[in-house]
Amino acid sequence: MIQSGIERKPRSRAAAALVAAAFLYAPLQALAAEPALADASAGLATTRTYCAGCHTESSPAHFQRLSVIRKSPEGWVMTIFRMEHVHGLALPEEARDTIVKYLADTQGLAPSESAAGRFALERRPNVPDLQMGDDLPVMCGRCHSLARVALQRRDADEWLKHMHMHVGQFPSLEYQASSRDRYWWQTATTVLPGKLGGLFPFDTPEWRDWKAGTHAQPTGEWLVRGRTPGRGDYFGTLRVASQGPDAYSAQWSVQYADGKASRATSKVRLYTGYEWRGTSEWESTEVREVFALSADGQRLSGRWFDAQRAEIGGDLTAERADGPAAILAVSPRALKAGTTQEVVIAGRGLKGAVSFGPGTKATTLATAPGMLRVSVSVDAKAAIGERSVSVGKTAAAQMAVVYDQVDRLQVLPGNAIARVGGGKIAPVTAQFEAFGFLEPRPDSAVRTPIALGPMNVRWKLAPRNEEAVKADDVKFAGSIDASGQFMPGAAGPNPERKYASNNAGDLSVIASLDQGGKELKGDSHLIVTVQRWNTPPIY
Amino acid sequence: MNRPLILCGLALALLGCGSAPTRAPLRDYILTGAKPDHLFVIDAASRSVASDFRIPEANGWVGSIATTADGKVAYVLVNRMESIAGIDLTTGKQVFRADLSQGNERVKSFFGINVTPDGKQLIVYELPTLLELNEYKVQEPRFAIFDTSAGLAAKPVRQFPAPRRVHMILPKKDGLSFFALGFQLYEFDLASGKLLQERGVRDWNRPDYSLPDVLAFWPVSEPTGVFSTPTYSMHGAGEGKPGVQRTSLMTLDLGSGALSYQDFEDTVALIFSTAISPVKGQAFGVYTQLTKIDTVKGVLADRVDLAHTFYTVNLSSDGKEVFLGGTTCDIAFYDPDTLKQRANMKLPGCPDQSISTMRVIRR
Repeated sequence: MIQSGIERKPRSRAAAALVAAAFLYAPLQALAAEPALADASAGLATTRTYCAGCHTESSPAHFQRLSVIRKSPEGWVMTIFRMEHVHGLALPEEARDTIVKYLADTQGLAPSESAAGRFALERRPNVPDLQMGDDLPVMCGRCHSLARVALQRRDADEWLKHMHMHVGQFPSLEYQASSRDRYWWQTATTVLPGKLGGLFPFDTPEWRDWKAGTHAQPTGEWLVRGRTPGRGDYFGTLRVASQGPDAYSAQWSVQYADGKASRATSKVRLYTGYEWRGTSEWESTEVREVFALSADGQRLSGRWFDAQRAEIGGDLTAERADGPAAILAVSPRALKAGTTQEVVIAGRGLKGAVSFGPGTKATTLATAPGMLRVSVSVDAKAAIGERSVSVGKTAAAQMAVVYDQVDRLQVLPGNAIARVGGGKIAPVTAQFEAFGFLEPRPDSAVRTPIALGPMNVRWKLAPRNEEAVKADDVKFAGSIDASGQFMPGAAGPNPERKYASNNAGDLSVIASLDQGGKELKGDSHLIVTVQRWNTPPIY
Repeated sequence: MNRPLILCGLALALLGCGSAPTRAPLRDYILTGAKPDHLFVIDAASRSVASDFRIPEANGWVGSIATTADGKVAYVLVNRMESIAGIDLTTGKQVFRADLSQGNERVKSFFGINVTPDGKQLIVYELPTLLELNEYKVQEPRFAIFDTSAGLAAKPVRQFPAPRRVHMILPKKDGLSFFALGFQLYEFDLASGKLLQERGVRDWNRPDYSLPDVLAFWPVSEPTGVFSTPTYSMHGAGEGKPGVQRTSLMTLDLGSGALSYQDFEDTVALIFSTAISPVKGQAFGVYTQLTKIDTVKGVLADRVDLAHTFYTVNLSSDGKEVFLGGTTCDIAFYDPDTLKQRANMKLPGCPDQSISTMRVIRR
């Protein structure tokens, strides 16, 4: 269940951060009395009560410092968390939530402004950080993601105060590696404020337009599709009902490509007119939903994840159920010549005969809302390459691909980090997938590499280098299961290792696919390292 | 809080308990701090804890230890870098206290404390920040000089501007000036605060070497009066060549002020801290390995793996034993010739020494 009540003295910073991360997912009872974006009077009053003691209200609804910064909902959660844990702010959970809602609505980010950093809000693991020149990665990005920077808006004078906050709160900052080799403070106070104020200013046309506009509601019926790395594609339906201003209940019914069905109801709050934050329980796991509603209200997209283990989760796309007939997805999209397999076709208004083109034969096995389950037989000599798929009069290009063999395997993520765990800090796992590709062949229609999707492979770990061999990293750092999920070893000094080292490691993750006696391989680089003690909603 | 029985143990070892002291041969004692508030005094020869003093209001954090050669009082940076407690090493009583933060000015000292050789003045590197109603205002760093006889509410007798990012204070033997290590090796006049010279880090003038990386926060100069620290730099990089990382031993003679750098190997091992032996030509460094450096030839003399990480190294006064401490809760005693462990002593209760300094006094 979601966190309720205020944990005044969390056992650790990590525990505290988990509490902080839960702020956005408040119980519906607390939401019922909340104002809509249009009516922010309660939010203003609550902000005045809890913030104005320090952030003086210099003119109506203008609080010093507070009113010249814009952030994501998670950004505001982190700010309030810091005020509570560093500056002694005490406030009830309802007030905290009201303030976050008010600030995210009145001083949030337009969709175009949050786009670049969404991967951080969505807690996507092993995504390379934003590329932002030479100095910012070292000056800022060596401690936290540059997405965290790009998810804030301030003018230069406020960015300068931000630098003072950093060194004021973390005096060791100037002494750390990649800081002590330069005049960090001088650069941070003379160069960066103007630079960041130029890149990420407080006032933008995008925000002015967004704030002034009216926003779509997510209520109604949706068709849902997505993919859970390591498990596979899923399809289903979603019904969203209003539970008060900007509060919703969402009823999910999904089916995995492997046939397993699952249902859940989530409690949702919409921030800034598009930031969907939901909490639900799926198969006994508490789940968070970080989705964005498109400006036209026709599409919902993002990622959901395990509330305790954010690296575990899946992608989601939802489209309105009542649109024109369309094929939205085919799973699996790769059809091997000479075989018969079951395929799910997801879409709207799917009626009539199913076709995957010449050399194939498709038979509908079952229908369900938003999807068809079909059996597809492919001739051994069917032409390889991408195929259009049609259901009755509805067709979609490049939805499927016929292949005879996999030419290349690519393991993703190509570079990954896992963290040892145990005790107060959960381990951070890493999920690998091996994607197959058809490579161009002169005697076929294949002109560019064609993605076949995740392949069912065997997984193996190997030492990455000589040091990893000497330290026997494969033995100590962790193990990988048949689904490609790496589970790191336990945290703490390990007396069995040289120097009583922890269970860190430098590994190659190797996928192999047996194709009639010929083995195809792909690999990825995995670093297993120590815990993160500080686990805020935005890294 | 003191522990009278243990205290008596130390007094017995040092002076004879409850009786007029008779001059016994001087012995080496190891000082080390440990979380949350321990200051241990260890009889090196018997590998036993002579005293386990508890530092008042340490706030769970025990950092740098400064002391004089006679080892009468240890000045310990505590309270998350915001206070210095002077602990009488005979009685265990707090005889000096400087709480650096005052009012809305929060002051931290990043390991930068030391005491003059006569024990009369404490030099503190201060990082002040004004905590205003709704913002931090980082102030320029400064040195603060305290009179060590000022008691338990000590205020600085003078302050003067300091460079940023200093991590080490080392008083010169004559007591007239002190060194501060940061972007450069600075030397300041103790009385006036005047910068006398700066040299040797950003200006180390070694052609074909990158600027060195130096970050030592263990102010150890005993038993020789020479401070040393490992430095790392790239040699021969440029024009498409990646260069080779070299480890160098930086030494600073606190008597003469002589500064030198001596390369002794391509960087194949990380070394956190080093100490110079009174035995000519020997220096020792630690981290996951114990490194012996031949300072005459400028080469690696020997290296052995350790059971775990040690942050700090020191030596007996005669150079016939190497002490390894810091990090976790044990002190290891090594033979400087064979690099074999002679003994390992666990601190009672196994508290982490973490980044605390390990010092050696002789009484």
